[in-house]
Amino acid sequence: MSLLLAAAAVCEPASLSDLGTLLQVLWQFLSLSLFSLGGGNTLLAEYHHLAVAQFCWLSNAQFADLYALAEAAPGPSSMLVGLLGLGASWREGPLWALLTAYGAEAAILLPSTLLMVAACLSWKRLEHSPWRVAFERGMGPITLGILFAVGLKILRTADTNAPGVVVSLVVCVLMLRTRLSPLWFMAVAGVLGGLGVINR
Amino acid sequence: MTEPAGVAPTPLAPRPSLAQLFWGMLQVALSAFGGGLSAWSQRIVVEQRRWMTNEQFLTGLTVARLFPGPNQINMAVYIGADFHGLAGALVALAGMLLLPFTLLMAVGLAYFQFHGIPSVDRVLAGVVAAAAGMALSMGFKILDQYWSDRVALLLAAGVFLALTVFHVRLIPVVLVAGPLAMAWYWPRRPSAP
Repeated sequence: MSLLLAAAAVCEPASLSDLGTLLQVLWQFLSLSLFSLGGGNTLLAEYHHLAVAQFCWLSNAQFADLYALAEAAPGPSSMLVGLLGLGASWREGPLWALLTAYGAEAAILLPSTLLMVAACLSWKRLEHSPWRVAFERGMGPITLGILFAVGLKILRTADTNAPGVVVSLVVCVLMLRTRLSPLWFMAVAGVLGGLGVINR
Repeated sequence: MTEPAGVAPTPLAPRPSLAQLFWGMLQVALSAFGGGLSAWSQRIVVEQRRWMTNEQFLTGLTVARLFPGPNQINMAVYIGADFHGLAGALVALAGMLLLPFTLLMAVGLAYFQFHGIPSVDRVLAGVVAAAAGMALSMGFKILDQYWSDRVALLLAAGVFLALTVFHVRLIPVVLVAGPLAMAWYWPRRPSAP
């Protein structure tokens, strides 16, 4: 525990120009890829751990900002990993940041893509296998537990004032009860932030 | 492979080339800029370009949801792999991601350049509150289907506690809870005749 605190106190951004660090980072994303159950959002808390706690590329607030940007942008939300890559080597200049972004996204997608190709080619045999049935049923509850943990983690990372938390809870209910596009919620909340009602 | 009754059997188009795959997926990504990626890919791949039957497409969705990886990306991989194996998968993936990813990276560069400006930061604080609400809703969204299954709720609670209270990392949690859950849910009836 004291070791953890000490590590947090001296947390310096890990530089990706160092080959050892770069390989370590790539390895982390490559291995997480195969654990992105339930469509990928299950990895959000791990991304936070890597980018904020372990490698210290981003502050809590920056991570929350990037998550919001990735959610607002069109396309799959796993593109957040590209943004994390940008943040990881922003200090080394925009060009290197972009290279890291594309590299990080490739690393998070490659293993799951290879597995998916293998699955497509052998689906006829897999479809009725007991392994598939057990995997499908078993991973559901695990995904459920992870998603609740992820939701709580993001809420804590957002770390807004009381009106902000109320907005988060209202948005959560609206997401479940209505079919409105989440972009509306973000736009309204953005205005509330601009007016100073929500701050952090 | 039987056509559903009542639907006029439209002949499938010839197998798309790699270039056609790329442009088709690019079209899907462009059409889906307002959201609804899955619906758009069905409309374009099944109805407009007639690359696969609706049945094949739905099988693809099942596989894409089952295996690790973002669902929409897995779907692109399924479509590409179906026609050209690994090369097709990578080309379809590139077509689907190229525009949105490049756009997002431009936004990201702007973010790192300008997020220090106080007014930008104020607006972002609001947007972040909404995004946190979206993240919070993910678990509730699938809670209903497990509500009557006590073991599932117990497993979910165990995973949740391990991650949030005991700060265990995701990979070891899944490696321990995964096999336990699979053993519990292993189909017990002898396989269907």
